[in-house]
Amino acid sequence: MMKIFFALIALLFAIPAYAIDGTAFLKQVDRNLNPKSYESYRKLINVEPDGRKKEYTLFTVKKGVDKVASIFLAPASEKGRSTLRLGDNMWFYIPNVGKPIRITSLQSVVGGVFNNADILQLDYAAEYNVEKMEQNGNEYLLYLKAKTKTVAYDRLKLYAEGKKQLPVKIECLTEANMLIKTIYFKDVKDFGGGIVRPSVIETDSPLYKGYKSVMIFAKLKARGFKDEAFTLTFMPNLESLR
Amino acid sequence: MGGVGPMVVVILIFLLSSFLGVPPVAIAEEYTFDVSEIEKKPYHIGGYAELRPVLFGLDRDASLYKLRFYNRDEGSTLKEYDAALQLEGSLEKGIARLFVRTNTDYRNSYLGEDFKTTVYEGFLSLKPSSYLTIDIGKKTLKWGKGYAWNPVAFVDRPKDPDEPELSLEGFIVASADYIKSFHEGPLKTVSFTPVLLPVYEHVNEPFGDINQLNFAGKLYLLLYDTDIDFMLLVGGSKPARYGVDFSKNITTNFEIHGEFAFIKDYEKKIMGGGGDLMEKEYDAASYLAGIRYLTEKDTTYIIEYYKNGTGFTETEMTDYLSFIDNGYNAYVISGSDTLLKKALNVTSGNYGKPNPARNYVYLRASRKDPFDILYFTPSITWICNVDDRSFSLSPEFLYTGIKNLDLRLRTSVLRGAGSSEFGEKQNDYKVELRARYYF
Repeated sequence: MMKIFFALIALLFAIPAYAIDGTAFLKQVDRNLNPKSYESYRKLINVEPDGRKKEYTLFTVKKGVDKVASIFLAPASEKGRSTLRLGDNMWFYIPNVGKPIRITSLQSVVGGVFNNADILQLDYAAEYNVEKMEQNGNEYLLYLKAKTKTVAYDRLKLYAEGKKQLPVKIECLTEANMLIKTIYFKDVKDFGGGIVRPSVIETDSPLYKGYKSVMIFAKLKARGFKDEAFTLTFMPNLESLR
Repeated sequence: MGGVGPMVVVILIFLLSSFLGVPPVAIAEEYTFDVSEIEKKPYHIGGYAELRPVLFGLDRDASLYKLRFYNRDEGSTLKEYDAALQLEGSLEKGIARLFVRTNTDYRNSYLGEDFKTTVYEGFLSLKPSSYLTIDIGKKTLKWGKGYAWNPVAFVDRPKDPDEPELSLEGFIVASADYIKSFHEGPLKTVSFTPVLLPVYEHVNEPFGDINQLNFAGKLYLLLYDTDIDFMLLVGGSKPARYGVDFSKNITTNFEIHGEFAFIKDYEKKIMGGGGDLMEKEYDAASYLAGIRYLTEKDTTYIIEYYKNGTGFTETEMTDYLSFIDNGYNAYVISGSDTLLKKALNVTSGNYGKPNPARNYVYLRASRKDPFDILYFTPSITWICNVDDRSFSLSPEFLYTGIKNLDLRLRTSVLRGAGSSEFGEKQNDYKVELRARYYF
């Protein structure tokens, strides 16, 4: 009886201990992926089953845990379109339409496997709690649960490499544990300024059999911005930050 | 038609063959990102060229057919070959940016050839800090949250609910945007946009009465994760008006929005059944309520209800349409088109505006990438006049899979009883192919 009692007590203390470790680990993964405030260039490539590709180039700025904005630089049909995310709020600005419209995280402004939440990714620790962390040698597996219902994926399984504390693979799941997509982190590169992180992110989905989307990073560097750059009114002027 | 029609067809065939025959590109496992692609230049030139052949199926019994075709017989269908070139350019130096957008429309229709170039926008923008932007010149402001209609767009030209995403011609204004963000509390952003809009001879004349300097303003708040705008327009070119709009994401796939506008002493020109022209003055209130909903299968629904307080009642619409019918009967009997010309005069900018009646419902359903076809978006749009139950139904297919090329096939079917808005339009149906190339 006493053994069971002590075992229960030990479990009670063990779970918070995992959570604390896991949260700290997740926060470090976030910081290793990006500085707190930064600018970057990205190329998004949607690859169809027959090999056809469509590419988009974006300039992205991020500040703190909940502010991120992007402007399309190419192709010509998308140039000048911009997206803004403030926490759970997302907007899309099309120069011809002339005013920002609200969009939702599950939509995709570029088509393909990446949705708006993937393109305007916030810190993982800002959106998810660590439920459990498992260690297998130098490999870690974090079970993440969305903090609110407004987060795009209810659960994530984040596979990370322990030494560099960088993600290797993330499985995005529904509340019922159905796999929506898998994100692979590849080609770790030194961007300078102490930023060493994967330069290519690939994703595929059982919902889009045969399709693949790729995100390539370039010129990622720490940079500070005024909060006013992350407002609806500023969206038409985002390119002036380049 | 001249030689343009066949030329358009040849170009379209070329575009379509490109679309069907794009050679697959091998998947490279190593991806490259050439940094020279992202060098920033101080200037930018771009735009699009568009070809748009259209086929109209005419309704020879409709009032508006009689109004426009009473003295000519064009058969039961009309072909039209439209083209457009939209150019935009910008030049940036320091805190200053010059932006110009022009639109050139070419139309080859039963009325002959028509060619028109308009400067849609052309303004100088100064950005002394991230808090403040000052714009001077011709500009569109596009106020409002509605997709199909914007009763609070006090300083814009009316948009066409059939093509709500088309760019519009602006007005010559001096405006500023002052932005302030907050870290703590439910209020995250405040911005204020004052606008001066002069109306003089040859300056913004279509806006309203001349020799007036109008003031408009918009106050934007991001409060409790909700976009809220308050706006007003005072001056003298138009009756004073006040408005408010909002937009909010309820969940990851569900958005709601609305607008309300109040116009003091609105003046409406009404044609009685006997052809007498009357002016009616009253306080008009318009509003719009809408949602945008994304299903698990990637279908987006946009639903909006629009109460147009400045619109014509069912009786007023019936009187106008009856007058046209009477005018047509008089023309058939006596050969005199005096009454029809009188009706034509009150049609333009009045009864002839897109959706001139009181109550409308808009529904658009679009499905992204169905049948595993990436960049293919079929959609259907339904615009219904709630009062007379007439409607237009427009299925369309959009393909954007080829770099910088959009291909859209669209059909519109108009249905309604006699003396109803859509039932009395000159067309029964319209089929349109649009090929737009961006550069």
